[in-house]
Amino acid sequence: MSYRIGVDVGGTFTDCVLRRPDGSLVLEKAPTTPQDQSDGVLTGLAQLAAAEGMELADLLAQTRTIVHGTTTGDNALIEMKGASTGLIVTDGFRDEIEFRRCFKEDIWDPAASPPPPIARRRVRLEVTERMNAEGEVETSLDEEGVRKATARLRAFGVMSIAVCFLHSYINPQHELQAREIILDEYPDVEMVSLSHEILPKPPEFERTSTTLVNAFVGPPIARYLQRLTDRLAAAGFSHELLVATSAGGVATASASARRAVATIGSGPTGGVIAAARAGHNAGMGDVVSVDMGGTSYDLCLIRGGRPEVKMDWNWRHRYCLGIPMVDIPSVGAGGGSIAWEEGGVLHVGPQSAGSEPGPVSYGRGGTEPTVTDADLVLGRLDPQRFASGRLQLDRDAATAALAQLGSRLGLSAEETAAATVTLVDAHMTDAIRRVLSLAGADPRRLELIAFGGMGGVHATTQAAALGMHRVLVPSAAPGLSALGLLTADHIIDDSRGYIVPWAEVDPNTLARLAQELQDNALSELANAGVPDERIRLTWSILLVYPGQTFDVAIPVDAPTKVAEAVTEFHRRNEEARLIEARAQEPIVRGIRLTAVGEVDQIASESPEHGAAPPPLGRRDMWAGDGWQHDAPCYDLSSIRPGASIEGPAALQSPFTTVILRPGDIAGVTDGGDLLIDVGADGGAS
Amino acid sequence: MASFSTTDSITASVIRSAMETVCFEMATYVSRTATTPILNQSNERNATILDQNGRLAALSVGIPQFMLSSTLPVRLAIDFFENDLHPGDVIVANDPYHGGGHLPDFNVFSPVFDDDGILVMFASIQCHHGDTGGAMAGGYNVFAKDIWSEGTRYPILKIFDAGVERRDVVLMMRANNRLAGFIGDLRSQVGAAQLGAERLKALVDDYGADVVRSAIDWTITDARRRFSQEIAAWPDGTYSADVYFDADPAGNRDIHVHVAVTVDGDHLIIDFAGSDTRPEIQAWSTFGNTRGNAIAQLASMVDASIPKNEGFFDCIDLRVPEGSCLNPTEGKPVSSGTHHPGVEVSDAIALAMSQIIPDRCAPQSYKYGSPRQMWGDVDPRTGLAFFDHGGEVNAGWVNAVRGQDAWGALAAASGNLIKASAEINEHFFPHFLRGRNYITDSGGPGQWRGGCGSNFVKEVRTPTYVNQYVVNQRHIHPGIAGGHHGSPDHCMVGDTEVNPSVANKLIQTGEKLVYRFGGGGGWGDPLNRDPVAVLDDVWDEYVSVRGALKDYGVVITGSLEEMTLEVDFEATKLAREARR
Repeated sequence: MSYRIGVDVGGTFTDCVLRRPDGSLVLEKAPTTPQDQSDGVLTGLAQLAAAEGMELADLLAQTRTIVHGTTTGDNALIEMKGASTGLIVTDGFRDEIEFRRCFKEDIWDPAASPPPPIARRRVRLEVTERMNAEGEVETSLDEEGVRKATARLRAFGVMSIAVCFLHSYINPQHELQAREIILDEYPDVEMVSLSHEILPKPPEFERTSTTLVNAFVGPPIARYLQRLTDRLAAAGFSHELLVATSAGGVATASASARRAVATIGSGPTGGVIAAARAGHNAGMGDVVSVDMGGTSYDLCLIRGGRPEVKMDWNWRHRYCLGIPMVDIPSVGAGGGSIAWEEGGVLHVGPQSAGSEPGPVSYGRGGTEPTVTDADLVLGRLDPQRFASGRLQLDRDAATAALAQLGSRLGLSAEETAAATVTLVDAHMTDAIRRVLSLAGADPRRLELIAFGGMGGVHATTQAAALGMHRVLVPSAAPGLSALGLLTADHIIDDSRGYIVPWAEVDPNTLARLAQELQDNALSELANAGVPDERIRLTWSILLVYPGQTFDVAIPVDAPTKVAEAVTEFHRRNEEARLIEARAQEPIVRGIRLTAVGEVDQIASESPEHGAAPPPLGRRDMWAGDGWQHDAPCYDLSSIRPGASIEGPAALQSPFTTVILRPGDIAGVTDGGDLLIDVGADGGAS
Repeated sequence: MASFSTTDSITASVIRSAMETVCFEMATYVSRTATTPILNQSNERNATILDQNGRLAALSVGIPQFMLSSTLPVRLAIDFFENDLHPGDVIVANDPYHGGGHLPDFNVFSPVFDDDGILVMFASIQCHHGDTGGAMAGGYNVFAKDIWSEGTRYPILKIFDAGVERRDVVLMMRANNRLAGFIGDLRSQVGAAQLGAERLKALVDDYGADVVRSAIDWTITDARRRFSQEIAAWPDGTYSADVYFDADPAGNRDIHVHVAVTVDGDHLIIDFAGSDTRPEIQAWSTFGNTRGNAIAQLASMVDASIPKNEGFFDCIDLRVPEGSCLNPTEGKPVSSGTHHPGVEVSDAIALAMSQIIPDRCAPQSYKYGSPRQMWGDVDPRTGLAFFDHGGEVNAGWVNAVRGQDAWGALAAASGNLIKASAEINEHFFPHFLRGRNYITDSGGPGQWRGGCGSNFVKEVRTPTYVNQYVVNQRHIHPGIAGGHHGSPDHCMVGDTEVNPSVANKLIQTGEKLVYRFGGGGGWGDPLNRDPVAVLDDVWDEYVSVRGALKDYGVVITGSLEEMTLEVDFEATKLAREARR
């Protein structure tokens, strides 16, 4: 047996989790180093080694796997510090990236600004070539045109070139030729991204956008992963680094460097994967996970143990990424959300005080009351034991700030605090409803998993308002993302476009595309050292009704079973009341392969059973319908399986607090997580 | 919130948020379950909640111009059915002369009652359908002479009576539509209305009908207060504008929209007296459509966060003389008028208001003429007939505002319309899209530059018939505050120039439809534009070296080809002084 390590880079800390051969875990945190995240990673690894009483080289020599979650790509896109990028397209299609299929984020504001350009128009050049929709060459590639375009991009200082030709997903010949010419004309070009390799699917806007983002973030990500790989090798690690992807799995560092766009948005996936595992271990069915931190409230629907993955119309940092991405919508609601008044109406968020200056009670200069301040004034947070006691919360300052706000509303400080909490709870409840409605899921059939520093404070209120019966708060909350990475499967989620009315599908074409997908996936999994018996392939046929743009993936036993997929497609639509579905003949839009290399799961050590511990103390707190007097507070870590705690109560750990309302009953699972039976809705309305 | 009084603003704002979420859920329900692309992908659906008097309480918007089309049909149902409305009723309405916009827009709504059987509110969902029966497929017969040849009218019709689907009504509606998916899509809407009603009933059960009613009053009052505060800050007076468009599809020229906007304290009077009344024209925007365009334009000019509900238009006294092109007498055709003179309402209001609040004025309009239709008997690849409804991406008519050059493809108000792509359409229709790039020098010059138009070229692979109607050739989409207008529209179908329309025009294999969509208007005097911004535009070929001098008075030396472009600041100063 060997060690496994998960490393998750967050905004403030780089979390490192070590799984010992016996399955037990060690967590270390090192400061994140934004300029080069590998510094923080190496520091964290050294801390892990020290915690194990080992030299780093010895630890790494005995480590089989390091899984890394990086935000390098997101940061490059947020700060617009990617490579100097140019684009070569089919003549006539220079401006797709600006048109965005006519989409704009705000339909009310004519003064809203455009996205910052990755490639301005001067470095988006056209060449003459054309495939028809059947994949036949209609106009051959103007090779001299590619040469001239390359020379011009080079003269403009472009280092990374994206190529997107029409219908290349069905016949990539011209893109492949173009790469040869580009490399010949400009051997020092840092990267060439071909659209059919990045997203081999129509339509042109989604593919262009995804390819362009890949070209932009690819060089910094490739450089970063190379540097980290070299440093790990020098430190004694002899296997290939694995990197978290937006599809909710991992891929090898070399694959991630080639298709760097797939690391964008991977940041929150670790936590969601861990939540999914925790839910599974606790015997939960379909769940919603919520991560409430300082500034945002991240939501994910997890059905059948897998986070929801969305393709095609994913928008990140104002660019469309058509690749499969775990769907984790975020709303501006967190502990730092500011309460404010306008015209006698109280609002909460979306502006946040963040961690600097933070809530008023942090005493770091914040002057506007936040949700954390309201929770503190309502007795829901322990001023002495917040963030492991490293931060002493100033309740008087929070009260004063809320009183000042309340004076404009005719409310006392406590009433203002209660109103603030009510509003933020309503926002979060509505956010969950919206996410579920997009997926057609009924909240009453789901359970809630809450994590993040503030998740447990507000979770039972949301659950009750939505008619959910149970809430799980995972015990490993502080290192949850890194833990999630450790348990993440190797996932290759890829597709091939093939557009044809379903009855006219050519089985040979379908089989050829399937073979191509399967060969690629298996070789990538073999490179990553995944043994054959751990590989699971899931095929889907992508279908639409005539005229629809966004396709739906229907799982099938084998890639050629189109008729079965069509039947299932009709059935699903009929289930959603679309009774006349069969009147229309679906169109095949392609096939998709999800290849999963499953990792060993962690056998968690079961804590000893025990009776309910004595409370740490008692205090008045706002929970459910109103003030609860002398409610007990417990040390979360002292609660053992078998004990049961009834609300009202506060359960505190160094990193989080869980509030139980009257009627809520909490216990600890054998996995060590807190499981709450939610009482009847005692306060949401 | 037992510790607070039931009518306080906190509870009200929680209920408002919950109602907006119900609207979102209804709209999403349609997106998930409808088969028509305009519904499930182009987002042309609007969900609303109305109170027992048909006042708009909350909404989720797809297309701003159509956001209000539910209010008048719901009010009609309240008056018409009186005591004959029941829990579980679902009502369908699409008639332009009973409160609707145009026939393809179907409103479907369901009443919500409290436990005492008293009406509390309605959940409503409006969707655009692909056919309406009538003389021509597609629900968009811009050549129709009257409303009856456009399609079937359903003023208000119960499709569910107290929870039971009326099979006779479904049969009749099926019989009056060409599309196999029509009833399915309608049922998707019915499902959304039922879902909305169910969720609203839960809200009434949780809070009590009185609390919900006072929450609706509160949110309407809040919107009214915020909008009227903005109006109060505008200078009192009457501000007029005249807008024309080239011709209706039949060729009647210079259709005229006149508006006089009076700011009177915290109140607006918007009067369209003086607009075209010629009986022979085929350019009729129904009252509901006129109102929608007017409100959408105003909404773009005030704080974007003000809730759009009844309070918003409580501040507006909208006066539209009956019989004018903006409020036709019953029977006139309306397909064409939905767009023109519908969107000229936006242009007119923007121009009138630019006299006092120019910074916020950008017409939220488009100049499409009508949706392009291309069809033929045989796609040589399949041997089957085909019908292409148009709807592909193009760029045009995006205005700049103060501080922001125009960008993207269409005005912000169209930002929810996700339009069709070349690759997918080439699979379904036998044509090549040869391109749709921005046209250099087509954006309206201004201190902030209008958006470029685009050169859309479609080459057919088999003999194909075309219907096309084009506006914006002589009367051009306006610039604001001294900004110039952009380039005009121009369209050739094969060897024929379209002016203003062609119907059933046959083009042969290899021939093209070339549509040069017009540019958007600029904002402010182009001579005030930063020369360095002009230089950037030249590098990016939004503007040519020649255009820089002609439109902006900026002298640029060197060549783009040689990558030696520079501003000659001295010569620029002289050139600009000579023109001021």
